[in-house]
Formats: sequence, structure tokens, C-alpha cells
Amino acid sequence: MASTAYINDINYTIQDGETILSFVRRNLGKELVPTLCDAPNLDPFGSCRVCSVDVALVKDGPAKSQASCHTPVIPNSYIYTHSDRIVKLRKNIIELVLTDHPLDCLTCEVNNNCELQSVAAKVGVRNVRYPEGKNHLDRKKDLSHPYMTSDFSKCINCFRCVRACDEVQGEFVLTMAGRGFDSHIVKSYNNSFFESDCVSCGACAQACPTSAISDVFESKSIVADKKVRTVCTYCGVGCNLEVSVLNGKVKSIQAPYNAEVNQGHTCLKGRFAFSFYNHPDRIRTPLIRRNGNLEPATWDEAYDFIADKLTEIRQKYGPDSIAGISSARCTNEENYLMQKFIRAVIGTNNIDCCARVCHSPTALGMQKAFGTGAATNSIEDLKYTDCILVIGANPTDAHPVTGAKLKQHALKGKTTIVVDPRRTELAKFATYHLQLKPGTNVALLNMMLYYIITEKLEAKEFISNRTEGFDDFCSHILKLDMVEMEKITGVDKELVRKAAIAYATAPNAMSFHGLGVTEHTQGTFTVMLISDLAMITGNIGRKGVGVNPLRGQNNVQGAADMGCQPHQGAGYMNAYDPEINKLYEDYYKRSIPLGKGLKIPEMFDASIAGELKALWLMGEDVVQTDPNTNKVIAAMDNLELLVVQELFLTETAKYATVILPGASFLEKSGTYTNGERRIQKVQNAVDPLPGTKSDGEIMVDIMNRMGYAQEPYDPETMLKEISGIVPFFKGVTWNNLGDNGKQWPVREDGTDTEILHTESFTRGLAKFHYFDFKESAEIEKNGKEYPYIITTNRELEHYNSGTMTRRTGNVKILTEDVLMIHPDDAARHLINDGDMVCVESERGKVDIKAKITDEVKEGILSTTFHFPEVMLNIITSDEHDSEALCPEYKVVAVNIRKSKGQYKVKQ
Amino acid sequence: MGRKLLTENINVPGIQSLSVYRQQGGYETLKKALGMTSDAIVEEVKKSGLRGRGGAGFPTGMKWSFLAKPEGVPRHLVCNADESEPGTFKDRYMMERIPHLLIEGMAIGSFALGAHSSYIYIRGEMMYVFHILQRAIDEAYEAGLLGKNIMGSGYDFDLYVHCGAGAYICGEETALIESLEGKRGNPRIKPPFPAIKGLWERPTVVNNVESIMAVVPIIKMGGDEYAKIGIGKSTGTKLISACGHINKPGVYEIELGVPVEEFIYSDEYCGGIRNGKELKAVVAGGSSVPVLPKDLILKLANGEPRLMSYESLSEGGFATGTMLGSGGFIVMDEDTSIVKNLWTFTRFYHHESCGQCSPCREGTGWMEKLLHKILDGHGTLSDVDLLWEIQSKIEGKTICPLGDAAAWPVASAIRHFRHEFEEYVKNPQNIKKDHHYYRVNNISPEFA
Ligand SMILES: Cc1cc2nc3c(=O)[nH]c(=O)nc-3n(C[C@H](O)[C@H](O)[C@H](O)COP(=O)(O)O)c2cc1C
Ligand code: SF4
Ligand code: SF4
Ligand code: SF4
Ligand code: SF4
Ligand code: FES
Repeated sequence: MASTAYINDINYTIQDGETILSFVRRNLGKELVPTLCDAPNLDPFGSCRVCSVDVALVKDGPAKSQASCHTPVIPNSYIYTHSDRIVKLRKNIIELVLTDHPLDCLTCEVNNNCELQSVAAKVGVRNVRYPEGKNHLDRKKDLSHPYMTSDFSKCINCFRCVRACDEVQGEFVLTMAGRGFDSHIVKSYNNSFFESDCVSCGACAQACPTSAISDVFESKSIVADKKVRTVCTYCGVGCNLEVSVLNGKVKSIQAPYNAEVNQGHTCLKGRFAFSFYNHPDRIRTPLIRRNGNLEPATWDEAYDFIADKLTEIRQKYGPDSIAGISSARCTNEENYLMQKFIRAVIGTNNIDCCARVCHSPTALGMQKAFGTGAATNSIEDLKYTDCILVIGANPTDAHPVTGAKLKQHALKGKTTIVVDPRRTELAKFATYHLQLKPGTNVALLNMMLYYIITEKLEAKEFISNRTEGFDDFCSHILKLDMVEMEKITGVDKELVRKAAIAYATAPNAMSFHGLGVTEHTQGTFTVMLISDLAMITGNIGRKGVGVNPLRGQNNVQGAADMGCQPHQGAGYMNAYDPEINKLYEDYYKRSIPLGKGLKIPEMFDASIAGELKALWLMGEDVVQTDPNTNKVIAAMDNLELLVVQELFLTETAKYATVILPGASFLEKSGTYTNGERRIQKVQNAVDPLPGTKSDGEIMVDIMNRMGYAQEPYDPETMLKEISGIVPFFKGVTWNNLGDNGKQWPVREDGTDTEILHTESFTRGLAKFHYFDFKESAEIEKNGKEYPYIITTNRELEHYNSGTMTRRTGNVKILTEDVLMIHPDDAARHLINDGDMVCVESERGKVDIKAKITDEVKEGILSTTFHFPEVMLNIITSDEHDSEALCPEYKVVAVNIRKSKGQYKVKQ
Repeated sequence: MGRKLLTENINVPGIQSLSVYRQQGGYETLKKALGMTSDAIVEEVKKSGLRGRGGAGFPTGMKWSFLAKPEGVPRHLVCNADESEPGTFKDRYMMERIPHLLIEGMAIGSFALGAHSSYIYIRGEMMYVFHILQRAIDEAYEAGLLGKNIMGSGYDFDLYVHCGAGAYICGEETALIESLEGKRGNPRIKPPFPAIKGLWERPTVVNNVESIMAVVPIIKMGGDEYAKIGIGKSTGTKLISACGHINKPGVYEIELGVPVEEFIYSDEYCGGIRNGKELKAVVAGGSSVPVLPKDLILKLANGEPRLMSYESLSEGGFATGTMLGSGGFIVMDEDTSIVKNLWTFTRFYHHESCGQCSPCREGTGWMEKLLHKILDGHGTLSDVDLLWEIQSKIEGKTICPLGDAAAWPVASAIRHFRHEFEEYVKNPQNIKKDHHYYRVNNISPEFA
């Protein structure tokens, strides 16, 4: 029988492991017992003592006061929340706290939104009986940072900020220094927010009950006309955001505590980097190129111009001379419309999206292995896993909220294996860091698989019941020579063996991978080998295991789900299969082409070859972000029509024939699907800026303009249409998505799916594949002349080409791209920290500022591509994943020297 | 003469060194223990009735038997040598003079608990004692009494001394653990208790220096034999550091049960009040325990003599009793100002509060400030009431017992000496500046 206890003499049932506070709150609501140091996303701490209650073991027996927030409920005990002495105690504590707190609420930023103020009111403190004494009211404010602020005269020493920084973000920036009355919060080495190691996640500001730590947007206390829940647009984590809107303007963003994805946490992009949305640089009217110049036009003019031109090109060269690139930044609905437009209205399968340049190998590889190209598990499974394997991903920068969770896993001393050429933040805390040479993932994974087999650690039962192809696979792997593999990867084979054993023997092991896996010539193969690892150890189909791609962009999953790739339509059904084609034809009520469509790199080739005449880009900056910039520019130049839907005049937009001003995520509604297949509601906080339209609206307009009757853009009706064709969206409706969305597949009755492949695989049995390591052609061709390898990556503060983040305060935190270079390499070329370095590949050269660090190994360089000043992709290569055509951003053969000419350091 | 179990050889010349210690039979008990099962050792300690000498008096054998023993997780014994309580200086005295007794006790205790690495956490100000201990540990390693396969028993045992950095709070066992882990010494909330999750989240026993030393005679003579010494549940001998206005301040090993009166006045111990003065009050167990006026410390409420034992000292609860605490026996003569003495105590707690809990962080400060105000001649009667109220809101309402330790002296002073406070408030002109009081400073007790 469940045990019970009494609250104010009424009996309630206890849940296992419950504290008194959660017991009371669950039964009698949040308001009954006041708290100050407790916070929804932090472990109990017990410092304020305001939550004290009386506990007696027998009715009317002697009572002891206990801090309810951290004391477990004792079965059959009698809890009194408001006995006389408790009421007095609370009052007295608050009175004491107020003796060292400025009493200038009226002028305080958080006035009327302050936890101290409301607790004081609740416990009824009116005046303070203490004479004036020593206090800390003269502490200085810290306004050094573009976002974070502090005013420690308001600090009540509750430790919430310290705990948020430790437990949620894992950054350990804040500490309490001094003891007793002298206790005070210190940042890093007692410096300012700006100088400290703070990564501006804002968790401490959100946690702080007073205005002692806050942010420049006054996020936690702002009085808004409305607060709108939506989803962050900056990465595949898919954090829920609460946007405060005042007078039609976005004022600030907080993270809802009840968000299943992010539990009240975000990174600085989600929380603070929103001011781009009404930046003066936003394009506010359609532009048409006339006489070589982009000139303002009305929407009608622009639509007519495009419709005429497209019709003309289609008549002249056929529909396959037209292509569209959709955007993994846009909503599912917009992506669906884009592919529908290209397929049903234009009549070609030339549709692709930016998933091509990031996770196309994941989709393909996992489809081949399991039948479904999506994360098998959920992020929440991190709670249940014993071992994480992170391959080719730097989640603390690129997927910060998940990254923070992974870091917590590592900090707790749980097994963490990082496979990465760079000593990433996570690698610093990992149990094993396999620091391989870029481009040798296949060799390294083969080593792990080899050792799992030779150590006889394979999950025999799982293999025989649920997979096929093992024997073949096994005999192939066993032929490999580990000494040779060691040489190829540059990783000690003993270390690999240990890591393999750790992964294989963990009761539950979970793998995560990023673009360091996919953006290689052997990207798809690597994904399949990661799948092999999961299969061979039986780590698939239950909580705490699986293969989990960390999606780069917010809606990579969704764009692919919606059919933005040539070979698969909405719902991944084969676009080249005549049977299935009928399905689409019936649904779209148009004839749908069967011919093979072009993938993004093929589109560029086709344009250069004069076969592709028109290209429609939905928010893609291909010039800055696709590899081999000069080639991309040549492709753009060769088009007759380049339509670009954009927020800003990007490097690509500069080549456009027509620019259509789109709207940002804050101005539109729809859904995004995050990396764990969670379809979540994006809800517009404000209307599109005057003169602009949401991308969905633009698609609907142009479809209608070109003679296809498409209903006006509205997420609810759009979702209805999508759920009619995409099998795993069957039960999705706008209304049943609720606050936290649903993870697909969603059955007709609305039940969703946290874990895939629990009983059987989408393809029946999972399939083992093996692949031999093959040196990238880039290295084979250019390795001699260009002996260094440069690999590209992201920094926390910026998002891809930086179009948005460079137009926010983030740019004050990270001001430029830098080149990471090993001290020995730097010395060899007489390069000092901060010198400009000329990095040259077969394609061209760029100049980047050197940052000397041992985060990279000798011979390896690493940099970002956030700033157009550098245009890093001038040097990246044309090599692609052999299967999915994802570009090989991660391996570029280069040479370096100190810069000359204009880049020479000025002394 | 009472029996001496810990200090028997303390005056043997050279007893600090391993060779002399061994000549006196040192490490023979370790040898004996290594031949026993760990359960049997714990059983002997249980039978001995030994109660923790660090202040709380929790039965040591019971504490040891509570230690969780999950498969594959190392366990630790940690010796609390942070001794910083004003008035208590017995551990320092022992470690300084007979360091090997502690090492032998640590080895026996660790063996009994299945710990293979253990720690002595020593107060930072006692740097010279740290060196004494380290030297002794080095000797023991060299002689094969520590390290791999000690005394050929197959048992591997490493012992480390770690220095604190000057915080009283780091004597509280969970703050000590935090500090040992390299963190700020903030007490932890409990549960979980150290026996389940202590040092590095591993099961840990924290014991006082004297408790660990006492294990040596217990194993040597057997628990039953040990339990015959003392009175009732206060078995064995106890070190008392006596100071204040007495003729013979110093550390005394007593058989528990000696009458307080005898302890104060007999020549074997304190030798009476100095300068022929009258006794006014006693703080019997270190600065944290309630102060008792002469009549209550010498006699129980029923007129029977009060004894130096856990039970007798706490007889009557806080209304008329106090605690044995950590054995810091502070004697005050008739010229002592209770108010001023209290002020110096509260100043100590104010300075030493870790600052986590709002009642303790702010309350200790205000208690000091209010007492200072009274001593300055600006006090009012409501200040005395406020003092009482603050202490009552700290006691039992904080994360760690430092809050209690700060509250009890205030409560007992007002309880038993309210008239003195009132006199200060009503006739500030009569406040004498040359009153005696116990001046809390670093290591040695000092009176003004
Ligand atoms: C503020 C504070 C300071 C303490 N200082 C000491 C100390 O210096 N030495 C000590 O042995 N115990 C000290 N204790 C008690 C310890 O927390 C713990 O109870 C003791 O070390 C247990 O050992 P025992 O069971 O052998 O007595 C202190 C407790 C508090 C609350
Ligand atoms: S903003 Fe984040 S990283 Fe910075 S101090 Fe606060 S919690 Fe730590
Ligand atoms: S800064 Fe805020 S959160 Fe941090 S301790 Fe002070 S009041 Fe608490
Ligand atoms: S982690 Fe990703 S989704 Fe979350 S706030 Fe940061 S960028 Fe946005
Ligand atoms: S009672 Fe005082 S010393 Fe103990 S944890 Fe609380 S603030 Fe720190
Ligand atoms: S909320 Fe429980 S002690 Fe602060």
C-alpha cells in the first residue's frame, strides 16, 4: 500500500522519494509554502530556510522544523505549514534578509516581479526591527556585458545563480566567495561578466529571484502585453521560448520551465539573439534587378515578373531547367509548400534543401541500416544512459542546451567517449578522447567494431533476432589490420580498444553524431558504421540507447520529412516509383514528374553547364555557406533567373534577379521538427515587418499566381493537408500539439513515439554494412602540395553565415573568425597569436587571424565561417559524400604562411 | 588516579618517534587487528560503548556499522582533526605528542571499514602539527606499517594528511568533506548522510581524532573491558582541555564520571580557581555548549553532584543542564562579564558562519551587533528580547549545527544571567571596561 502523511491534519498519499515541499505543492498548490532558494530546474539546496515547516511524528507530538525543500517526507508524519512558530520563523528570516537589502523596490528593475518582494509580502514583513548596521548596499553594478548584468547590492545569497551555472549550464563561472556575512558572488577570477568565462546562457539571470543578476532586456521582470510560446530557430535542439511582446515589439525572451526539450534553459542565441528581427538591414520590399541594379518593386510586380519568367523558361527549356532549394530554417509547412510548388506546379523533382550540406548522409545511412532516417531516441534518455559516444560533434557550441546536458553527464563521471579531431569542450571532460585525423572516421569506427568482436562483446541474441548481414560483416571486419588503422587514424589502438569495451559493456550506451560525421566523402558510410556499433551491442530500441544525430539547423529533420529532396517526396516515399507517384498525383491533383531530380551540388554543375536556368532559394545563402565559393558564384552568374527569399542582403542575394523579403521565425507560425523528431509549434510573436511576408505566404501566393489553387497559408489547415499524405504525421493537428509538441510517428489517435524500433525495425531486420576506409580524394590529390588539413566548425555565439547573429549583441562577444593552430605549427611558420595567416588551398586563399591553441593537433587547423570578411568557403573543396553528396567541409588540404600585403600585421 | 588509556605514554621521551612508540608496544594492536575480521573489530568497538569525541557523542561502533558497502565502490575513513572550537585543544595536544597513536587508530579503523585510502583533515593553523603527522606517516610507510600489504597482512592502506585553510566550519563533517574535495567548505544538506554518500560520493565515516585514537586501547583490551571504565553509557576515558581562571590549565584524561566539583578543585586536575577567587560559571564542552552558573554546574537540580559524563552534564535539558560536547572546559571566575564573554563568542560565530543559511548568516551578525551595542552602553531591554528571538530562529533551523552552536551560548547566557544584561542596559555607566572575558583567538586560550 502506498504510504501517506498528513498536511495540516489532512491525509495525502506520498509519492516515492518526494520532498516535503513537492508533497505539499503537489497536493495543495505552489503558493502555500514560500521558498526563496528553491528553483524548478535546480537541485534542492536548503539555504534560505523560508520553506521550513513543522513536522511531528505523532499527532500533537513534539514538532521539529524542517526545511521542506530538501527533507524527504516521513510516512505517517504530521506536517504543519503554518504553525505559529513557523509563521514567525519565516517572518523573522525575511526580516533578517531585508536588513541587508536596499529598500528601494519602487525604483528596482524587478519591482512587482521579485520573488523576495512577494515572499516578504506573503509572510507579512512590514518593518525591520534592527538598527542600522553594516551592509553591502554599496556594491557596484556590472554593466560590462552586452547581455548579462549584475547588481549585487540586491543579492540575498540564495546560491541559485551559482547552482544554475553549475547544474544547468556546467560552466562554473559563478561562485560564492567570502564566508558568513561577507559571502558574495564572484564571476570567474573576480572579474566582470564580460571578462569572465560566462557563455551568456542567461540561466543565472533567469534563476536569480531578485535583480541581483539580470540581463539588459530585463527578461524576467518585463511587463508585456503578451507572452508567446514558440521554438528557437538556431539549432536542432528546438528549445521552447517565451517571447515577451510590448507594443508590437519583441522585448525579451525567457525559457519556460515546463518545456520538455529545454526545461527553462537556452543558450545565448535562443535567449538574447533576437534583435536582428527588426534590424535596419532587413529587406522591406521586393527587389527586382533592372539594368544590373536591384530596384524596389511591389509584390505584384515581383510575382508577375517571376511567374512570367518561370513560365517562359519552362516552355523554352522544360521544367527540369528549374530548381528549388528549400530551407531547413523554415517551417514544415513552408518546406512542404516549397516542394509541392516545385513538383506539382513547376513539374520537376529538382528540389533539395540545406540538409544536403549537413545531415543528408544521416538520413540515407540510417534509412539503409534501420529503415528510418531519424534519431532513434530522445534527449530525455540521457537520464537513463550509462555511456555516451559523441562523434564529430561539438555540442557545447553547436547544440548548446543538449551540449550542456552531455557535459553534465561527463561531469558526473559517467562514461563519455568523444571522437573528434579537436579537443572540444566535451573532450576535456571525457573518459576517452579519440583524437583522430580528420577524415578517418570509417577507420576508427572499424577499429571499435573490430575490438568489440575480438573481445567477444557482441550482443548475440540481439544480432540473431533483430539484424541481418552480421556474419559477412564480421568476417570482413576481422580481416582489418589494426596497426595499419592506428597509423591511418593517428589514435593509439589500445585507447580505441578500451573505448570500444566501455561502449560495449555499458548497460545502456547512446551515440550522438554531428557534421563531423556527415560532411565527409565517407559520410553516409560512417553513419552506417555508427548504426553497426549500436546493433552489434544491442543498443537500440529502448530507453537510454540508440543513434542520435545532432541536427545542425532547427528544422533539418522537418525539411527532409516534408520531401525536400529529389528522390523522396513528403513522408519519404520514393518519388521515382510510379505506384507511389500516383498517390502524390491524386493528392496534389496535378501530374507529378518521375524523372530524377538534382541535388544541390548537381544544380550548381547544371547551371555552369547551362542546363539549369532558374533557381529558387528559400533563405539559403549558398555563396557564403556552400563549399568552393567561386564555383557557386559562377553557377549563380549563369542563371537566367535567381529568386531569393531572404531577410537580409546576403552574399547570395547580391546575385539575385528577384529578392522577396521573407519573415523571421518571430513573425511566422507553423511547426519545426527538432532532432528528436519532436514536432513543435512555432507561433508568431509579432506580425511580419511592413512590406515583408512569411515564406509560407509567399509560396502560396506564387502557386496561385501560377495557376495552382492553394489555400491561404495557415498552420492549422497546412498541417491538415500534410497529415493527409505524410504517414507519420497522421495524428498531428495544430491543436493537439500542445505546449511540448509530439514526436513522430504520431498515430491517428494522437499518440506519439519517444523511441523508434522497439519491437521491430522499419525495414524489418536492421542491416549490418561494412566499408573500408578510403582516403579523401582531396588529400590524395592535394595532400602533397597542401600538407595541412583544415576542418571547419561553429562557435557558440554565431549561427552559420552569421546573417542573423552578427546583427545582434553576439557580435560584441565573438567578433571575428579565427584560425586555430597548434603551437608547433605556428612556431614553424613564425606565426604569433593574433597574426593574420594566409590559408591557401587548390581553390583559393583566405586570410584569417591565428589563435594558437593545443585544441587541435599538429598538422590540423580549424576555423569557422561566420563572417563574410573571411569567406572561408573560397578554399573548401568540391569533394562530396559518395552517396548523399554532402560536401566535405571537414577536410580541406591547405598550406599556410604569414599573411602579406593588406593583411600584414600593422606594428 | 584515574586510568590513562590515551595519555599513558605521553610523557615518555621521544614518543613522537616510531621507534620509541613501538618500544612502548605501539602498532602491536594494529597487528592484532589485522588478524581479526573487520566485523569482529566493529563488534568490539560497539561493545566498548565508545561515543564520538567530536562533540555530538554518537556511538562510534554504530556509526561504523551504518556504513554502506555497495559493490565496487571504495569507502573512506576521514579523521576530523580540524579542532577549532574555542576552548577545545585536546586533539592538537595528542597529535603533537603521540602522532603514531592516531596513525595506528586510522589503520585499524580503515581496516575495519574496508577503506584502502583514508584522510586526516587537519586545521590549517596547525601547520607544525601537520609536519609532525607527515613525518610520522613517512616513518610508518618506511616501516611497512602503511602502504602496500601492511605488516604482511595483504591489506593495502594509504593515509594522507590534508590541511584546511582556516575555517571553523570545515570541522563540520560534510563541510570538511567538501573542503577535502577541493571545494568551498559549505555543509551539505542531509540526507544523504556521509555513510551513504560522503567523500566523492562514496560511503565515508568521519571521526574525531580522539575517537580514532580510543579505538587502539579498545582493540587492545577488548570492548567489554573498556566499557567497564566510566559510568553508564559514558564509557571509557575522555580528554578534557581545561582552561580559564583555574590554577592548572591543560589537557586531562579523565575516567568519565568524575564529579565536576572534583575536576575543578582537585589538584589532580584543574587545581581550583586562581587567585583564590570564586567560581562564577562554566562552559563545559567547548564554546558551543550552554554556559551554566556555579550552582547548576556543580549540582543537579535535585542537589546531587553533577558528574563529568555525557548524561550527567546534559541532565535537566537546557533549562538546567549543558553538554559534554568536545571537552573544552572553560572556567570563569567571579570577575567575568558574561555579556562581554558572550559577545566574543558571538563574534567568533559571526566570523565563522559559512553564510549559506539566511538565519545563521544574518543572525550571527545581528547577535554580535546587538551585544556590541549593549556593551557600548546603548542597549535597551528590547535588544535583549531581540537577541533571544534571533537565537530561537537559528537553533534547529539551519543546514548544519553551527547555527545551534551560535544560538546556545546566547540562549543560556540570557536564561541564566538575564539580570546581568538588564543591569548593562539600565545602568550603562556601571559597565566595567576591565571585566574578565574569554578572548577567542587562534590556538591557545587566552584570558583578559
Ligand atoms: C561547526 C562545527 C564544527 C565542528 N568541528 C569539529 C572538529 O573540529 N572536530 C571534530 O572532531 N568534530 C567537529 N564537529 C563535529 C563533526 O561534524 C562530526 O560530528 C565529528 O567529526 C564526528 O566524529 P565523532 O563521531 O568521532 O565525534 C563540528 C561540528 C560543527 C557543526
Ligand atoms: S549566463 Fe550562464 S554561463 Fe554565464 S554566469 Fe550565468 S549561468 Fe553561468
Ligand atoms: S545573485 Fe541572485 S541568484 Fe545569485 S545568490 Fe544573489 S540573489 Fe541569489
Ligand atoms: S540550444 Fe539551440 S534551440 Fe536551444 S536556444 Fe540554443 S540555438 Fe536555440
Ligand atoms: S548553519 Fe551557518 S554554518 Fe551551518 S550551513 Fe548554515 S550558514 Fe553555514
Ligand atoms: S526553499 Fe527550502 S531552504 Fe530555501
